Amino acid sequence: MISAPYLEVAAIVLGVVLLLVESFSVQLNKRVIAYAALLGLAAIFLSTFFVAPTPAMPHAPLWNFYASDALSLFFKRIALATTALVIIMMLDYAPVVCANIAGATPQAGLGEFFSLPLFTCAGLMWMSSAIDFVMIFVSLELVTISFYVLVSFTRRNPLTLEAGVKYLVLSALSTGFLVYGITWIFGVTGETNLYRIAEAFTRPELESTGALLGAVLIIISLGFKIAAVPFHIWVPDVYQGAPTPVTAFLSVGSKAAGFVVLVRVLQPLLMLPNVRALLVALAVLTLLYGNLAALPQSNLKRLLAYSSIAHSGYLLIAVVALSGRALAFYLVAYLLMTLLSFAVLVLVERHGGCELENFSGLSRRSPFLAFAMLIAMASLAGVPFTAGFLGKFLVFDAAVAAHQYTLVAIGIITVAAGFYYYFKVVRAMYWETSSSGEMIFISPLTRMAIIAMIFGIFFFGVYPQPLFNALR
Amino acid sequence: MMTLGSYLVVSAVLFTIGFAGVLLRRNIIIIFMSLELMLNAANLSLVAFSRFRVSPAGLPEYHAEMLVFFVITVAAAEVAVGLAIIVALYRARRTTHIDDINQLKF
Repeated sequence: MISAPYLEVAAIVLGVVLLLVESFSVQLNKRVIAYAALLGLAAIFLSTFFVAPTPAMPHAPLWNFYASDALSLFFKRIALATTALVIIMMLDYAPVVCANIAGATPQAGLGEFFSLPLFTCAGLMWMSSAIDFVMIFVSLELVTISFYVLVSFTRRNPLTLEAGVKYLVLSALSTGFLVYGITWIFGVTGETNLYRIAEAFTRPELESTGALLGAVLIIISLGFKIAAVPFHIWVPDVYQGAPTPVTAFLSVGSKAAGFVVLVRVLQPLLMLPNVRALLVALAVLTLLYGNLAALPQSNLKRLLAYSSIAHSGYLLIAVVALSGRALAFYLVAYLLMTLLSFAVLVLVERHGGCELENFSGLSRRSPFLAFAMLIAMASLAGVPFTAGFLGKFLVFDAAVAAHQYTLVAIGIITVAAGFYYYFKVVRAMYWETSSSGEMIFISPLTRMAIIAMIFGIFFFGVYPQPLFNALR
Repeated sequence: MMTLGSYLVVSAVLFTIGFAGVLLRRNIIIIFMSLELMLNAANLSLVAFSRFRVSPAGLPEYHAEMLVFFVITVAAAEVAVGLAIIVALYRARRTTHIDDINQLKF
């Protein structure tokens, strides 16, 4: 049996070793770094199955910061799988990176590009285990700061730098809110551990105004991370400007970790008055804005950004309904379908751009990619027998059980809007004629990853039991 | 005699100045300074809360002071990366004014 903290240590050590290897071996083909990272991530992923989940122990030394319960292990696996898929996308994206970095060698910058996600991954894994505000803050910042570098990585492209600066300012702002919120929670309870804060909230002499101020500030800052309206303003610009694999990483990894922190933090915070009403309001705004603003988009990256906001809304319904099962399943479905669409986008982008017209006639240029995109869009929209459908079904089911009928009604209306903009992409691929007849080359590794994701979407769409078992 | 309240007021004023600076100023360097001010406001109230919450043994609560050290370290890391991005932006665009950084939009 392996102790859970070694998983993060392994990810960090892997990252540091790869960076050192990269800087000391000038002759090395940098793609080797990516393959080594993939192997390492696979090894860590396998070793998560040898960690025995234990309930959180808020009073034991060290374990008052770190929980290795079933939820955290589940989210560690999500983080590892996301990172591995992102690194595969990065391999396809490497020529764009090389073209946009001024360096002495043709492969300058690639080594860092492939090894930085490992540090982000370690941060995401720590976030999923954090049960103390100190730990939450530090791991969140590890993720955020490594994303600063990744988002503005292709620094000869002015759009990327613009996205980097916007991400920098708004993330730092949310950090400020988070720390100030933690301050007030500490000031009222004298604790930073979530379980002991929950104990303190039950005391009758609690100063509930101060606690509520802290709670609101913390929810605002997590709202930035999970892209909930009205804290979503950075999302469309940053998603459009960032290198495409990094956009995929942001929209899946950052969001999954944000939600697991939200779930943990809400355990004490929901004991305060009015916090649930605040979350319902956030969910309604996010659902409406995300789906409606996606309708007129013509740039696929921007469309996926608004779709990512919309999916935050469905995930927030699961949070409001307090259904960890629906939330976890929806996140897995979201991971599969979003990463699948970004994997196709990376390949198509290299032969044109990410406007919708670049997808015209994709079914003739590359039937395989067009089929993969069709599945991704169908699942994002929620067509039956896909994981996206079952995810939405579980979320609405949980909301009905929690008597949140308004949310269910708004959710179902916005799903209809979703069908329109997702199928715009499908129409472009299958019904419009292509402007260029250029064939698209797909590397065997990417082809394998795409097939695996398509399989996952159908498999979990009809047989979700393995995921539920892993949560127990 | 300084009370907890006076520290909290100063900290709230600092936080507000920082937040107003982020919203109103147009130069990225100044915005970045204001963001650091917000973090320092939080640090001040963390130390104040910890100083005024004395345990039965007569010691302050050290949880918050430990968090302060983490905040300082993280803020330093954030500045290192952030200024590098701003310098790269200045090299590419010859400006640090946010009204000129508007190529990405609807």
